[in-house]
Amino acid sequence: MDGRVSNVDYVIQPEYRAAATPAPARQASAIAKPGLKPNLIVLSWIAPVVLIVVWEALAQAGWLSPQVLPAPSKVLRTAWKLTLSGSLLNDLGVSLLRAAAGFAIGGSIGFILGTLVGFSRIAEALIDRSVQMIRAIPFLALVPLVIVWFGVGEGQKIFLVSLGVAFPIYINTTLGIRQIDPKLIELGRVQGLSTLQLIQRIILPGALPSILTGVRYSLATAWLALVVAETVGAQSGLGFLAMDAREFLRTDVIVLTIVIYALIGVAADSIARLLERRLLAWHPNYSKGPRS
Amino acid sequence: MSPTSLTSSETAVTVSGLTRAYGPRVVIDRLDLRIGRGEFVALLGESGCGKTTLLRALAGLDPIQGGHIDAPGRPAVVFQEHRLLPWDTLWQNVSLGLPGADPRKRAAAALVEVGLGDRLDDWPRNLSGGQAQRVALARALVQEPRLLLLDEPFAALDALTRIRMHVLVKELVARHQPGVLLVTHDVDEAIALADRILVMRNGVIASEHRADTRGEPAASRVQLLRELGVATNLQVA
Repeated sequence: MDGRVSNVDYVIQPEYRAAATPAPARQASAIAKPGLKPNLIVLSWIAPVVLIVVWEALAQAGWLSPQVLPAPSKVLRTAWKLTLSGSLLNDLGVSLLRAAAGFAIGGSIGFILGTLVGFSRIAEALIDRSVQMIRAIPFLALVPLVIVWFGVGEGQKIFLVSLGVAFPIYINTTLGIRQIDPKLIELGRVQGLSTLQLIQRIILPGALPSILTGVRYSLATAWLALVVAETVGAQSGLGFLAMDAREFLRTDVIVLTIVIYALIGVAADSIARLLERRLLAWHPNYSKGPRS
Repeated sequence: MSPTSLTSSETAVTVSGLTRAYGPRVVIDRLDLRIGRGEFVALLGESGCGKTTLLRALAGLDPIQGGHIDAPGRPAVVFQEHRLLPWDTLWQNVSLGLPGADPRKRAAAALVEVGLGDRLDDWPRNLSGGQAQRVALARALVQEPRLLLLDEPFAALDALTRIRMHVLVKELVARHQPGVLLVTHDVDEAIALADRILVMRNGVIASEHRADTRGEPAASRVQLLRELGVATNLQVA
């Protein structure tokens, strides 16, 4: 939320610091009026809060049928009940586990292939065209085929998530390695680094911003793949919860799963941003606050 | 390059018959050169005369097509760009590839020498151009090289910073006693720093000027400029 405001800081400060004239930087942040910051945040929350209040009011007044859209308070009560019975946490856990497994498998494959292709023109010739051809397929179009292959068990879900995750990681890893300044690699050779040291000290750190972009992107794809995979013949998980609720017209449960999906998406993105800020502290774009 | 009586322990590099070609185009043609420890040699020449090619060959960055380079130990290089790793702090940059124990301590000592002893854990992006180049110099000297190769390291700096760097480099070379090859196109820089100035033309060393025999700086400046194809009508006062 405060991303936009701290953005101003990071654009101005490093430039002026480089020019060794800190005074104008202070002036500039003074112009940014710190008093304005909280006001903007409050402003940005007005619309969502009003929306929920109106939604609740309409539902309470009976203008919204509970079958169409249950009141927010009703969704909250359902969440509480399902939490107490343990079924919500259980389904949530199952979904998270699937996402994690798919992310680990697809991420590793994407990273390994991306690293190979990034380093070696021969690996590129062998691998890249095939990967790009598979990438051209919207991976969700493979769902029927994947069901034929794996049935509707865990394999199908983890496969779909892996597939969605592998490509963004692959592409960004390759890109990150390719973008490294050849002059820095030359420097590594001058300093007497071994190939392993070169990879550790120069190539991987240099590719990291790009790889983390891939991670962030693939987290969103993983989640999307999971939603689709779980709505097809699952026995547990958030998607199952939603499809099961559909059978009984439990709109409140359906809305609840949608909200949870959204919350987890936001959480995953925050984790990725946190990783970026931690690992890329040296990078002017990440050093202060996330870039939106 | 006359044969010399110095022993090998006092030699930073000996080059004999060095030939470097890009396809049919010969850039360095059977070049001989010897630099002693503690000796500061500047290499002048017009663009494309092969001076940077020579430096890269000495650094082991490019293959050579003929001759020998005999340089004990690994030479250190300072490039025109600082080439600091943006993801490493200053001390990590300085200790890059540094073998042996306690790299941080030794990197710290090197940074103190270049006047940045209080910036060990700072990031390169917070440095000015001159400061970054000083870190690059520390990174080269911390290796205690017998041969220090400087590839126009001050060319991108402003005039005042350049003068300060000249003083610093001279001091550090006097203290650490590496043999230095400075590639530059700046005649004044060469005169200010070098014990010996070589002018390179068509892949060979065309002339040599020693500090002890070359006379007045102003006179040698005119002379060197003329050799580099710049006619000057400035008379020596």
